[in-house]
Amino acid sequence: MPLLAQILARLRWRPQNGEKGENIDNASVAKKYRRRGAAVDKIYRSMPTIRMLLYIVGYTWMLLLPSSLFGNQTYIDENALQPGQVATYWSWGDVHSADVYLGQLEQLRDRNASSAEKAAYVKSTFNALGVTATTQAYAFQTGNSPLSGVNTYAVLSAPRTSGTEAIVIAASWTSLNGQPNLRGIATVLSLVSFLKKYSLWAKDIVFIISDGYMDGMQAWLGAYHGLDQSSLDMEPLRLRSGVIWTALTIDYPGHSFSHLGVFYEGLNGRLPNQDLMNSVNYISTYTANVPVVLYDHLDEQIKDILPKWLPQSLWNQKEFRDYFIRARNLVKHVGYQTFGRASGIHGLFNCYRIDAITLFAVPAAGPHGFHAIGRIIESSLRTMNNLLERLHASFFFYLLTGSGTFLKIGEYLPSAVIVSVAMIFGGLQIWVDAGWVEQRPAVDEKSQEKNAAPTTVKWKTRHRNALLPLIIMLVTHVIGGFTFLLATNTWFITLPTSNTSYLPLIPFSLVVFSSLSALLTSPDTKPIKVESLPAPLHTLLKAFNLCLASTVISITSVLNFSLAAALAVLLGVPLSLASPTRGLPNKTAKALAYYAILFPLWWILFSRPISHSIWDWQVLGTWFAPFVCVVYWPLVLQAMIVCMLDPDC
Amino acid sequence: MNNEQFEEELHVRPLQDGRVYTNFVFKILLKNAVPRSANTLGSEDEAQHYTVFPLALGQIIREYAVTELHLSLNAGKWDYASWGYPDNPSVGSGAELWAWMGEGDEKRVSISFDARWQGLRNALAGLFCASLGELDERRTTSPVYAFQPDGDLPAESMNLAYAFHPSENICTENLTPFIKLLPCKSRSGIASLLNPHRLFDADWHGMSIRVLWRADEGVEVQLGVQAVFDPIRLRGQQKRDWDFPHIFDRTITRACPVAYSSTIRVDLPLSGPYTLTPDPITAGNGTAVFDVMSANKPLDVSLLYLNEAHFTYPVDPSPQTDLSIARSHTGTSQAHGRFHVTLTNSLNHPQRVAYLETPPWIIKFYLHTLTVTVDQDPRPRKDIIQKLTYIPTSSNLPTLFEPTLILPPNSTVHLTLDFDKTFLRYTEHPPDAQRGWDLPPAVLIPLSSNGSSAPPSLPRMYTNTLLVDLATPDFSMPYNVIIMTCTLIAMFFGNVFNLLTREFIAIKVA
Repeated sequence: MPLLAQILARLRWRPQNGEKGENIDNASVAKKYRRRGAAVDKIYRSMPTIRMLLYIVGYTWMLLLPSSLFGNQTYIDENALQPGQVATYWSWGDVHSADVYLGQLEQLRDRNASSAEKAAYVKSTFNALGVTATTQAYAFQTGNSPLSGVNTYAVLSAPRTSGTEAIVIAASWTSLNGQPNLRGIATVLSLVSFLKKYSLWAKDIVFIISDGYMDGMQAWLGAYHGLDQSSLDMEPLRLRSGVIWTALTIDYPGHSFSHLGVFYEGLNGRLPNQDLMNSVNYISTYTANVPVVLYDHLDEQIKDILPKWLPQSLWNQKEFRDYFIRARNLVKHVGYQTFGRASGIHGLFNCYRIDAITLFAVPAAGPHGFHAIGRIIESSLRTMNNLLERLHASFFFYLLTGSGTFLKIGEYLPSAVIVSVAMIFGGLQIWVDAGWVEQRPAVDEKSQEKNAAPTTVKWKTRHRNALLPLIIMLVTHVIGGFTFLLATNTWFITLPTSNTSYLPLIPFSLVVFSSLSALLTSPDTKPIKVESLPAPLHTLLKAFNLCLASTVISITSVLNFSLAAALAVLLGVPLSLASPTRGLPNKTAKALAYYAILFPLWWILFSRPISHSIWDWQVLGTWFAPFVCVVYWPLVLQAMIVCMLDPDC
Repeated sequence: MNNEQFEEELHVRPLQDGRVYTNFVFKILLKNAVPRSANTLGSEDEAQHYTVFPLALGQIIREYAVTELHLSLNAGKWDYASWGYPDNPSVGSGAELWAWMGEGDEKRVSISFDARWQGLRNALAGLFCASLGELDERRTTSPVYAFQPDGDLPAESMNLAYAFHPSENICTENLTPFIKLLPCKSRSGIASLLNPHRLFDADWHGMSIRVLWRADEGVEVQLGVQAVFDPIRLRGQQKRDWDFPHIFDRTITRACPVAYSSTIRVDLPLSGPYTLTPDPITAGNGTAVFDVMSANKPLDVSLLYLNEAHFTYPVDPSPQTDLSIARSHTGTSQAHGRFHVTLTNSLNHPQRVAYLETPPWIIKFYLHTLTVTVDQDPRPRKDIIQKLTYIPTSSNLPTLFEPTLILPPNSTVHLTLDFDKTFLRYTEHPPDAQRGWDLPPAVLIPLSSNGSSAPPSLPRMYTNTLLVDLATPDFSMPYNVIIMTCTLIAMFFGNVFNLLTREFIAIKVA
């Protein structure tokens, strides 16, 4: 207790004016204290340089992520997986049955069969193979277009096991490239009778043919896990199995394929355990001899993407080409992850702690077909079947730069965090500076010239009114929330402009803010003695704005690195440069510049209209739209208010 | 030999999905024997001299004064909808043990009920090489309606101990000691068909031991093996014809000489032409009977479906049982979840049932969240539940939740119940922490209608086991995390502590 009292006393202690130390004799402590003070002083003085360095290091780090300086070869962490250790039995007879199913599916497609018709066909096929199957109808009530469909699914009860765990093999009717995924469905159907021949399955195998693209699987998974979604009206599932640990979704839209593309990004930036991808990569390469790529990115396509005017000598350098090949994968990844979009229907599984990826048969003239994909799936299923526990081992934080190379969390995370550190240093420095004011001695110019040395400058503390800037920030976020409510409103979604951009929504909030900042600016009350005034509002607002933005970036960096990196790039420098100017035209120009640079950039860069983001939120529960409205846009608005404020006030 | 009688029987039943159900029952009757009373445990027991009765089992039963004992070890998921009721209703996936034992007079009994229950499960664990020691007080309950005795109970106060261990699967090491208890082992008689290679490849398989007392006959031991084979998978072609070599990879070459009777019963297909070879002794009521003693050896029973080039699976088959039960749990949170139980009654009259749920202590029910609805009607129906037996979990004891319900005719009753998942200390996690915890199956016990004392006409049914995810740390990382966290805390604590307790004073230096 005495210790606690002592600590409390220390906390309450404030340096009094003119208070002098008593223990003067303790010279070594004094020396240490002075040295420390000098060091702090030096760091403080060079803070602008440090911040600039941090920005440079952070942004350079981001640019270097695709380079060969970073990156490791992928490896299998979980010993139980044992990928590629089994002989595969998938044969040409199974390929033939897949071809037969494909013929029937093509007939369904040609006569434009309805969802119910297609589901009935799949169900009867499952039943004929001796697997219990059933259908699930669903309907989404979203703003602009109602969505409905029928899923079909079957449970192959693994012999000899209690069926507490399950593996999912799924295919959606629509491929992720928009084509009908007939070959994917034919593969799944032909797998049923094949997998039924073996008693080695330790987990139930659930086959799902989901309707539509994302919507069907969202309805199925929601019903399986008891999700209560107000916009979704779905039939309950009559058939059930155990806890799903892993899932593979098969996407095979073309006639043949040359490479196996792996899509792995889940909703809201979640990623599946890397072991799953590494296993499939290994199996595909060594069991089926199918090369694996990320997405549908073939290495040779890089020539078509980069500008032609680059000199040939650069082209011939492997380092140079590799950089762009990796950068292309990373940019695509950042595109998915920033918006919280799933790159395929596998992404919906991640919300339910199921590790899932999409196997995409990259359409090509050849040489691979049902035989290769069947063997890949068979061997992958055997590997997933080996699991004794869920995939774990912290293998969820990574950036894939290629199918066989990845960045560990320690290699990419610091880039965004360094930028956020630079921002919070800036904010804290402004906050500290705002607490002091220079006290000019009342002397005439002559004597001032004589004593030009800085030692004569005296500093005096001044009051910092933190309440007003905090209220302003709160109001911006509340208005952001209202903006979001407005954006998700039915009548707004049905506006024709909402299909193109976010722009029509924003002027209203801009008007609100111009008036607010005009209210805050009061040019008449110009003071005579600056030092007697409290700290100006704009400095405090800017300090808090920077601190908040930095906190948001560093927290997001662990949850969704791409979003954090995008925030660091977009907000880092502009928020630090926000400053008030005199004269209304200047102010407006500056604020509008912020608006022009920070707001539409976000949308134009990736050309995602608002309606898509709202759809993602309403149907799939993607956080991106609310995040932009409630967090990102208010941060920008706060910077705009800083520009609108009077410099002296 | 005169006061012991050994009978063996194999029951073969073709199922509608092309599979074949087989049930081996070996009955050993100890005539006029009486179970030991708990009150005599302190004194010397009578001598045990058996000829065919298994001594190892007999000793255990006498040692712990067990009146009735049921042990079953099963693997697989019994599919009531397409396979119907099994001959022996104990088909829950995992290890199940329940025993009726006398409590004994407080003054005379030398060893407590709980101690005998512990001794019994440990002795059986040793006898059958199974982890039955896990069936300890963390899993033991005493249900009210379920598990009524199959035999008779002596006129003293008896008690039931019931425990289920879902993670214990049957394997060869359990079958070998089981076969050892048989008088002819697996050398002759129908026991020679017990081929572990085939038995443990069956879609569903399980073994059971039942000891019961009939007042007018004596103590009876029933050793049983049930299995569901898939001839289509075993033959590698789309035909459901079956014969002993295809199913068991064996035939019966010798009869067991000590058997009083040795029969094979085959349920005949309801429709379609077929041939059954060899000719049975009797065939009628849809059942053919073979006598292993008198039949020509080697005996190979086979059933061929004529005019059936390919077996076609029935489309939308009707369920084979009048009642059905399905249980699932939803919720992705690691802190709480919800049970969904669906009870269907396809009978034309209301059926009274009891529902038994005995989850271990990691699950904590919220009884006030219990909802009962019928069919699609969302209105709660409080009248469905008649009585409710509920013993909540405390420390590490299991919950006992056993309501009795009246299922309306031709309707489906939905029960939901919310539960909390315990946050475990890190030493309490099993070695395969990320797998989750198995919950024992729930049991549906059809009861006779109100008032009448007639035994229920339908056997009990088990649901599948469930796997529950608890909040689990990533055990592959703890040392990194501990070291990192400790370093950071030490660093920050040191600095902050210094700042708070030391006094820094600005001084003037001359």
